[in-house]
Amino acid sequence: MKKIISKLVVAAGLIVLSATAALAHSPLCSCFDNGDGTVLCEGGFSDGSSASGVKMFVRDDSGAVVLKGAMNEDSEFEFKKPAGHYTVTFDGGEGHSIEIDGSDIVE
Amino acid sequence: MKMKVVFLNLLLVVAMAVPASAHFQMIYTPEIAKNKGAETDVKLVFTHPFEAGHTMKMGMPEEFFMLHQKGEEGKIKKYDLKKLLKPITWTSLTNSGEAYEAKLPKKIVRSMGDYTLVLVPAPYYEGEEDIYIQQITKTYMNVGGLPGNWAAPAGLKTEWVPLVKPYAMWTGMTFKAQLLSDGKPVPNADVEVEYMNHEPDMKNNAFKKEEKAHAPHDAFVTMGVKTDAQGYVTFAIPKAGWWGFCALGSGPDKEFKGKELSQDAVIWIKAVDM
Ligand SMILES: [Cu+2]
Repeated sequence: MKKIISKLVVAAGLIVLSATAALAHSPLCSCFDNGDGTVLCEGGFSDGSSASGVKMFVRDDSGAVVLKGAMNEDSEFEFKKPAGHYTVTFDGGEGHSIEIDGSDIVE
Repeated sequence: MKMKVVFLNLLLVVAMAVPASAHFQMIYTPEIAKNKGAETDVKLVFTHPFEAGHTMKMGMPEEFFMLHQKGEEGKIKKYDLKKLLKPITWTSLTNSGEAYEAKLPKKIVRSMGDYTLVLVPAPYYEGEEDIYIQQITKTYMNVGGLPGNWAAPAGLKTEWVPLVKPYAMWTGMTFKAQLLSDGKPVPNADVEVEYMNHEPDMKNNAFKKEEKAHAPHDAFVTMGVKTDAQGYVTFAIPKAGWWGFCALGSGPDKEFKGKELSQDAVIWIKAVDM
């Protein structure tokens, strides 16, 4: 019984370790106004890993989500530029999110 | 056979008598670690960088291109930059020579990731030695901190493959790279190292007059290192700025227009102070 418990403890330790390793990288996201009414965002992590599947949110001035999607297999997310002020959120999970103000997104 | 040995000895004597400053093909752009992509000015100059000495006349390069990769799993995109080249005259402290410049539009340098700039110049005829020199040269840029293909060979006849991120060097760090010829390591190769001692003036196409460091002895102008048995070189960077590494005659091509060709591999890295 004792042996089993210590094994479980080791397994739990490993899980914690791998979770920490995943936190060692930082999220990266940058967006460009394509000049044709669309915006392209690209993402990734500082260790070079892909952002494929990372959730993306576009919010209006009131904070309401007007668009949502995910980074594609090329770590890109393209959307129609909303009218008025907006923000883009790259939601890579806790500590891995970035918010970009629409006014910083230029051609 | 004996004749050849005598001839080699003569060559060595001649080589040693030449003042200690080496030819370096430069691919220069002031900022290689960029937070955001932007239009980028690049100068191609064939010169002697430590002394800002004699600048050689470049012919139209055989190839000038850029490899871009976004993230380690990203696809490599190749951009031909040759069509962007414009001839300029570069002024050194002792002469002026024909060089090239290119303005890379923002649309090809806006994405995050690594950019490898590759130049395959036209072979240059060096009259004093009656040989041709062709320095296949690489340098790197990064946008946004997302790494890509900096550690991958570009598939050149001869090239340096860095083992340290070449655009993220602090002063004092050790640079390590492997020398390849036709994709295979080159052991025991002679490598010349020079510091870009006179800052390039991008607007006036010239080297600035002020030197950043002073060599106490000729041997410090061009430092000599050798690759080890696996073709690796390590070099601790003593001062902020640009450092060039040139492997002499490491390429597979040994002849051009019936004359001896020295096909060299050059890499430029930049260190910044902490
Ligand atoms: Cu020379």
